[in-house]
Amino acid sequence: MIKILMVCGAGLGSSFAMEMAVESVVKEIGLDASLDHTDISSASGVQADIVIAANNFEDQVKRYGMNSHLIFLNNLIDKKEIKEKLVPVLEENNYI
Amino acid sequence: MAVVDFIVNNILTQASITIALVAMVGLLLQKKPGGEVASGTFKTMLGFLVLAAGSSIIVSTLSYFGEIFSEGFGTQGIVPSIEAINGQAMNDLGLGNEIALTFLAIFLVNIILARFTRWKYIFLTGQALLWMATMTTIFGFYGGLRGFPLILLGGIIGGVFAVAMPAIAQPFVRKITGSDDIALGHFCTIGYVFTAGVSKLVGNKSQSTEDIKFPKGLAFLQDTYLAVGAIMIPLFMVTAAFAGPEFTSQYSDDLNYIVHAFLQGVQFVVGVYVLLSGVRLLLAEIVPAFRGIALKLVPDAKPALDAPVLFPYAPTAVTLGFISTTVGTVIAMILLPFVGLPVLLPGMLTNFFAGGTAGIFGNAVGGIRGTIISGIAHGIFITVLPALLVPIFNDMEFINTTATDVDTVTAALLYEWIINPLISLFN
Repeated sequence: MIKILMVCGAGLGSSFAMEMAVESVVKEIGLDASLDHTDISSASGVQADIVIAANNFEDQVKRYGMNSHLIFLNNLIDKKEIKEKLVPVLEENNYI
Repeated sequence: MAVVDFIVNNILTQASITIALVAMVGLLLQKKPGGEVASGTFKTMLGFLVLAAGSSIIVSTLSYFGEIFSEGFGTQGIVPSIEAINGQAMNDLGLGNEIALTFLAIFLVNIILARFTRWKYIFLTGQALLWMATMTTIFGFYGGLRGFPLILLGGIIGGVFAVAMPAIAQPFVRKITGSDDIALGHFCTIGYVFTAGVSKLVGNKSQSTEDIKFPKGLAFLQDTYLAVGAIMIPLFMVTAAFAGPEFTSQYSDDLNYIVHAFLQGVQFVVGVYVLLSGVRLLLAEIVPAFRGIALKLVPDAKPALDAPVLFPYAPTAVTLGFISTTVGTVIAMILLPFVGLPVLLPGMLTNFFAGGTAGIFGNAVGGIRGTIISGIAHGIFITVLPALLVPIFNDMEFINTTATDVDTVTAALLYEWIINPLISLFN
């Protein structure tokens, strides 16, 4: 199963909000995915296929050089934006 | 009867078990499959106990820090941390059950208010609600309330804050995001509105923070725990240096006392990290359930979300707000003793999140100049309010700490100044 990790500063609030938005997108496109959320410091220790974060965390997330596909959002709960950015990554890697 | 007694005295008094049972009932009501019920129930209990473990780490470093600070500077040095307050109230004061039930009562009141008034906000920032429940419980308890009235009143006050705070923030949020889709659910909102007011007075909207380039080296400040450590660790080391090797040797044994202070500073960050990991586990089942129920009952509800959802709209303002708020908290730390208030050290976690968000508010109405000046004012504001609570926390034997998040502090002051005097009038 594909694993998608949402990341924010403390790994409590906004990553959780993102997770709930991503969950409805994932359901909509009929993907079987395991979703979780955490803070930046912990994220590098988690093996995830896709990491999603707010665009202001781009430098930090990239610095950890995670072996995941990275997606950065402007509006964390905008399902349209999530879909637009997530679906190409999924297709490219034959997840769907 | 023996069985009932056993359950009441040995099981329901254990907040970790009660909370797990509440989660289990919730999961069963949602008709989740057995496996999910079991894992959700277990994770909720795990979350509570991880939170408790984090709390005891924080308490042990804070009591060390309190001792060396008094020795080094001859006055009490308070570390503001709502996490530490929550942990101690749940564990050392034994208010875990009341806090958990108040937390659920706030959900209920929030849904009722959103359903029947024109404030259609559903407050989804779980940890903020937990802090609010913590504060109403502590201060209601301090005022003499127990059991059901304590929980009911906490639920009403917390529920009103849960719709009122997003409501007063919304005009600014609309300006920041350019839409009405997102609402802000973060209990530092009074500070944000204060910041916006100051920024409007002194600022100049035409020069936005987002037009300036910030040095890349400061990007590490985005990493929450790193930012907390960057301030707390040097603070511990400098304080130990002032306290001197003789006094500190009782804690450091054979280890060099500065190295020991360094490790204690790291330990503080570890405690916050562990405690918040516990909160994450604790909320993982409850928040989606609340969201599901609320959106079903209030179809036109607007979810109020944690502050960082605004960060992408003005990332430079976030960093600038964080720095200027921290400057403000340092100024306040130095000035507070002169007006008879205790020394409050900068609370870096809240400086990071509340300061960053205040920066966005400041920028939206007053540009660069407004952001810097109002950020400093914000730092002073969020230090003075919690300082007023210190005598009560000391009286209740909290270890060297006070609350953060000004809305929860305001709720506490509401208890202290209005509700509790009224209660004592009737008793």
